Amino acid sequence: MLDIRGLRKTFNAGTPNEVRSLRGIDLSIPEGMFLVVIGSNGSGKSTLLNAVAGSFLPDEGSLHIAGQDVTRWPEHRRARLVGRVFQNPFSGTAPTLSIAQNLSLASRRGMRRGLGLAQGGEQRPDMLSRVRSLGMALEERLDNAIGSLSGGQRQALTLLMATWLKPSLLLLDEHTAALDPRSAEQVMRITQQVVSRDRLTTLMVTHSMQHAVTYGDRLVMMHRGQVIHDFEGAEKRRLRPADLLARFEEVRRADLLEETAADLLRRRYV
Amino acid sequence: MTLLVAALTIGLILALLALGMLVSFRIFSFPDLTAEGSITLGAAVATILILHGQPPLVATAAACVAGSLAGMLTGLIHTRLKVNALLAGILMMTALYSINLHVMGRSNLPLTGHSTLIDHAASIGQLISGGAESLQVLGRELSWHDLSAFVMVLIAVATVTAVLAWFFRTHLGTAMLATGDNPQMVRALGVDDRAMMTLGLAVSNGLVALSGALLAQYQGFVDAGMGIGMLVWGLASVIIGETLVGSRRLAHLLIAAVLGSLLFRLLVAIALRWGLDPNDLKLVTAAFVLAALVLPGAIGRLRMRQAGGT
Repeated sequence: MLDIRGLRKTFNAGTPNEVRSLRGIDLSIPEGMFLVVIGSNGSGKSTLLNAVAGSFLPDEGSLHIAGQDVTRWPEHRRARLVGRVFQNPFSGTAPTLSIAQNLSLASRRGMRRGLGLAQGGEQRPDMLSRVRSLGMALEERLDNAIGSLSGGQRQALTLLMATWLKPSLLLLDEHTAALDPRSAEQVMRITQQVVSRDRLTTLMVTHSMQHAVTYGDRLVMMHRGQVIHDFEGAEKRRLRPADLLARFEEVRRADLLEETAADLLRRRYV
Repeated sequence: MTLLVAALTIGLILALLALGMLVSFRIFSFPDLTAEGSITLGAAVATILILHGQPPLVATAAACVAGSLAGMLTGLIHTRLKVNALLAGILMMTALYSINLHVMGRSNLPLTGHSTLIDHAASIGQLISGGAESLQVLGRELSWHDLSAFVMVLIAVATVTAVLAWFFRTHLGTAMLATGDNPQMVRALGVDDRAMMTLGLAVSNGLVALSGALLAQYQGFVDAGMGIGMLVWGLASVIIGETLVGSRRLAHLLIAAVLGSLLFRLLVAIALRWGLDPNDLKLVTAAFVLAALVLPGAIGRLRMRQAGGT
């Protein structure tokens, strides 16, 4: 469903602030798979997700979603295939518009928007039942501005909006990281529900070890713009947060070693 | 009475300007200086076409289209060429000054002796009145000509307001509102936010040019300098309207802009009557808009401080 080949991206190339964020990523997600990406800060996990969403165009490599080459597609065109939930709960909804207006926007994701009336009456029952399924009592507030809701509520609605039309690929960008623990659990529960109900192909970036081992069919660990571990099937199911921590400790030591070695060489030869 | 009706008529004509500013400034937070050029552009295009014998309705429609094109260009300059919003507007406004002079052929062009929309309205008024020159309203004399002009402009503004209210309830209009609110979100939902902003500026400047076309026909001339300060006038109307209505719902904001424009012209008429030097008008308006922009925040901070002190 998603096919990434040799993806590279360097930001601020040729300046002192040069950052090689993606250093040759190859990754395939078959249809219906829930993939979790984990990595330390600066590992490139969010950059990878943004590259798939189309926030920027890659320097090298190709991206295929649902069999279509989307490498050069702008973000708004990819939205036809991709549903997305952002880390910031304020990013996914239009605050001054009502819940109903936001949902009606989502109900035409990637489609032409003409002069037909939005949120016509026939959509209303569907909206009510879907919003009720969140279990947040928001169905009584369909005409309230979204800006008046809490972060957790807004994130749950964003999730609902991203999946209103079944996307070929669902992107979740640390979408519970900015929420309080209770809301985070609630949003994760809804995520699991929606993903398994619609068998959505999903790419979730997280920094929570617990979420990484609990959710998903496959786990990919990133470090310095590369995929360094890939756990699947029984191996993934056996994984515990402690195992992940151990792997992180490993790469941290390797990094230190590299630095010490470089230091040693410098002292000896320079 | 004549003065009052004249002030209200101009207020209504400039309400179209205010509606245009509402779209650019309130929806997209884009202080679009193009408006100062496109209001003159609308007036110039309508005037020149009427002088060349085109029906006034056609001339007015063409003015509206010309304004939209100007707005579209500003939008393209800002979104595609990545020029800062304010600067894009200034560039367009400056360019339009020359273009307007070319359209007009000279810096001031009278419309006398040519039939305008206002004259059409007056002749319909004549039919209704059965030939009477004036009528009594509240014991004052009011000419049928002025009344017909007022009614025609009122109908035009009511129609435009209704069309805008409808537009912002369509799929396209909702996407436009959302683009101003959160461009990142609309991109993720498949809307080209840059195209949407360009369209919004086209709509905005189309309205502003329409306002200019009607203004030229009402006052009977177009002047190359008529656009100066219009942005601030439009903003003043929008702000007065918001204060009056106190609601953030879009349909209310549209009506608020119209009411704000009416009230603003009325205040201007009263101030001039009381002996305000017309040269000071723009200074006073600018001071007013500054106060209206700054005071709500300042009062809020003051309250916070008092609440914190107790």
